[in-house]
Amino acid sequence: MFDVPVGQGPVHAALLMGPRLVRPVPAEVTEALLSAQITATAGERSGFQLAFDLTRNGLISRRLLPEGFFDPKTRVVVTVTVRGTSDVLFDGLVVRQEVGASNQPGHSTLTVTGEDLTLLMDLEERTAGYPNLPPWERVLAIVRRYSGYGIRPDVYREKIAQPPHQDLRVHYQTGTDLQYVTELARANGYTFYLEPGPAPGHSSARWGPEVRLGVRQHALNVNMDAHSTVDQLTFAYDGTAREEPQARWQDPANRQSSLLPQPSISPLRPPLGKRPTPALKRRTLSGTAKQQRAQAEAELLARAAVSADVVSGSGSLDVNRHGYILQPRRLVGVRGAGRAYDGDYYVKSVTHHLRPGSYQQNFTLSREGLEARGDHVRP
Amino acid sequence: MAELESYESALDAVPGAHPYPRTSRYHDVGIGIHRTADGTEVRYAGRRLLPPLPDGPEETRAHTVAAGERPDLLAQRYFGDPGQWWRIADANPVLDPDELTGEAGRTVRVPLAGGFPGGGRRV
Repeated sequence: MFDVPVGQGPVHAALLMGPRLVRPVPAEVTEALLSAQITATAGERSGFQLAFDLTRNGLISRRLLPEGFFDPKTRVVVTVTVRGTSDVLFDGLVVRQEVGASNQPGHSTLTVTGEDLTLLMDLEERTAGYPNLPPWERVLAIVRRYSGYGIRPDVYREKIAQPPHQDLRVHYQTGTDLQYVTELARANGYTFYLEPGPAPGHSSARWGPEVRLGVRQHALNVNMDAHSTVDQLTFAYDGTAREEPQARWQDPANRQSSLLPQPSISPLRPPLGKRPTPALKRRTLSGTAKQQRAQAEAELLARAAVSADVVSGSGSLDVNRHGYILQPRRLVGVRGAGRAYDGDYYVKSVTHHLRPGSYQQNFTLSREGLEARGDHVRP
Repeated sequence: MAELESYESALDAVPGAHPYPRTSRYHDVGIGIHRTADGTEVRYAGRRLLPPLPDGPEETRAHTVAAGERPDLLAQRYFGDPGQWWRIADANPVLDPDELTGEAGRTVRVPLAGGFPGGGRRV
């Protein structure tokens, strides 16, 4: 019945490149693609590495490479379609290229490495004052400068409001935009990252708490015979990872210093495990006495939240068998790992390995305690 | 404990917080709430508007229907998932999916993989 040739399988990848607006690459470039590796981590910059076959008389070595098709600051967008559903995996810029010329025919390769669009924010240093703007409005003002690349701000109010006082202090930025935005995120327990999508050429800049609410992704099944979707999954439980920060604050009116009360981190990180791990270490934050009270409280909350994740998992899966792409920086359920380690996890980072005929993902998961909170996991 | 429990049900109050999966054709439709006379709330999926039809031959490929074919077989063949037959029905467009493969010899337009329907937020 089916004598017509079928497509290349259920996974289709597309590569789009261009100086600022991207367009699909010529067919010769797609055919020369040997492998693509894309890494996306929560709170860090994403990166990619593409390897191309560099035949001597091919289009790439004859025309595209000398004419600057792979030059630094060229924009690269990678999209992947699994079972008819498309996703943008990456949106970034070329940073460096390597050519490996080989004596054996067919072994010359061109390797292109790059980083995501936050690189744009890290290029030039800037000195700018932000009088009377709370942190989230400062971030909004910075992110709006990059709307030419299709970056849409996705900025949230900080959890502990820090009303600005122009008379007391004007906040100044020294360094690059990315450094300043990341520093503000860290001071509030937030993360800053660019999430590509939903359409090619668009991405949203998220400055806010990690997405630990909402719909879970399709569960990772392990040790379930034919229903297993994960090749391997390893968990680690590090009891010393969690620390209880302590902050002392001095009241400028009467010079009395007092220990700030321990904040509840659940507004920033809703609990995923039933049994939270007690903090073994106690650390004292430095420099909080001189800050404004709200700022010191925010820093205390941020430090307490960042160190809360003690359970980490890592593993790899085959997208063809799993049927879905595991997205980083979102929640996912785990089934079949036993009562202690089943339940919902936050996907900390995902590395996509694409090559013709295979699509593998390596991932790391994290949460703050053992045992699942709910009695079921979304399949 | 009350504070902890509120997280598990925090999203239940938000309409449309539990959307259809991304593979579903109802993924991008809004979830409406209808209040009946006695005050109970009934949720319903809003009307789904078809995306614009593909224009040129670059966006679709032609498939000539053979005897015994079904829309789900076509979807398995071109997309790798039989549940995606609605993409073919959308591109042609037909209301009754059986109409697609009803008579052998008809030419059906199959959309190419890689389309980005709608623009809903992922988070």
